[in-house]
Amino acid sequence: MAEVQVQEKGAKGGKVRSKKQSTRVDMTPMVDLGFLLITFFMFTTTFSKPNVMDLGLPAKPKDETKKPPPTEIKLSNSISLLLGKDNKIFWHQQDNTSLTDQNLNETTYDREGIRKVIEQAKASAADKSKFTVIIKPTDDAVYKNFVDILDEMAITKSEQYGVTDLKPWEKAIYDKKVGNSGAAAAPATK
Amino acid sequence: MTAMCDVAFLLLTFFILTTQFKKPDVEQIKPPSSISEKLLPDASLMTINATADGKFYFQPVENASERLQLLDNMGKKYGVTFDNKEKAAFQKVQAIGVPMNQLKSYLDLPDDAQKNFKSPTGIPMDSTNKQLVDWVKESLAVNPDYKLAIKGDVTTEYPKVKSLFEGLRDIDFLKFWLITSQEGKPNE
Repeated sequence: MAEVQVQEKGAKGGKVRSKKQSTRVDMTPMVDLGFLLITFFMFTTTFSKPNVMDLGLPAKPKDETKKPPPTEIKLSNSISLLLGKDNKIFWHQQDNTSLTDQNLNETTYDREGIRKVIEQAKASAADKSKFTVIIKPTDDAVYKNFVDILDEMAITKSEQYGVTDLKPWEKAIYDKKVGNSGAAAAPATK
Repeated sequence: MTAMCDVAFLLLTFFILTTQFKKPDVEQIKPPSSISEKLLPDASLMTINATADGKFYFQPVENASERLQLLDNMGKKYGVTFDNKEKAAFQKVQAIGVPMNQLKSYLDLPDDAQKNFKSPTGIPMDSTNKQLVDWVKESLAVNPDYKLAIKGDVTTEYPKVKSLFEGLRDIDFLKFWLITSQEGKPNE
């Protein structure tokens, strides 16, 4: 590497005596710094990219007459998930007549909670190829709940799912349920 | 030793040249975690940031000349004209978080003030005033290949997100990405 020949003038007379003195520059600190920078840049390049998840929305029917006929989903082939406030999640497999606050079940977002519920419902579905998950985020839900449940769809490989609003009859039961279990039950005014 | 150093510095040069530093966010947004391992693609990307308290910021694409067209279109739509200084400022701006009628005064602010400016309102997005969707729409008018990423905070209220989704459905823009963080690393 870099070698510098240093000429030293001898003290005696005019006689030039070139001393063989190899001056090797110590490169260790520079190399250390180099590697430190490499590490830094390597980490920053890979970590600055955020993860993404795809989301495709259904097209809005432009014309009322072109609307596809409402598809009837059998209750046993579907499960409705209500994303409630304070990270609560409720599920049911009822219709507007049979839903009560007893059979609107509460569960949790973790592995033991909602994932089991979906898997069980899927297993007991009459026609597994048509099993549909209906996601109904209430106005109290937060964005995280929505992403979590889409994640859950990916984990349980439920490819048929829909996101829609709460039906009025569901909302009534949900309000009642939340009002019963939460101490500070604010009426949903939104 | 020499060969190793050569390789090391070659790598160093490579990484220095290829790194793109993440620009500082206007407001702290903590995206929710997900199991998705897909990384944000490099396509020309516009980003909508939704903060925890439900304000929207719009981040136009990087391309400076296309930004100019976008600003022109938006100006025409809302009856605002911009002078050259404001146009130059718009090319450099990180994210917009003001309604159209305040955009001009926002762009007139000096650079540091712009960086620290926290919008009290964000871009309006409700059933009567869909400026946020207009930003997306006009961007697509400039170049239909743009992709959209939405970055929402963990605690953003769902109705806000829903109104955005509905607005995007109205303009038939149905495919986009939600920015999430890797499961188990909620702070990245």
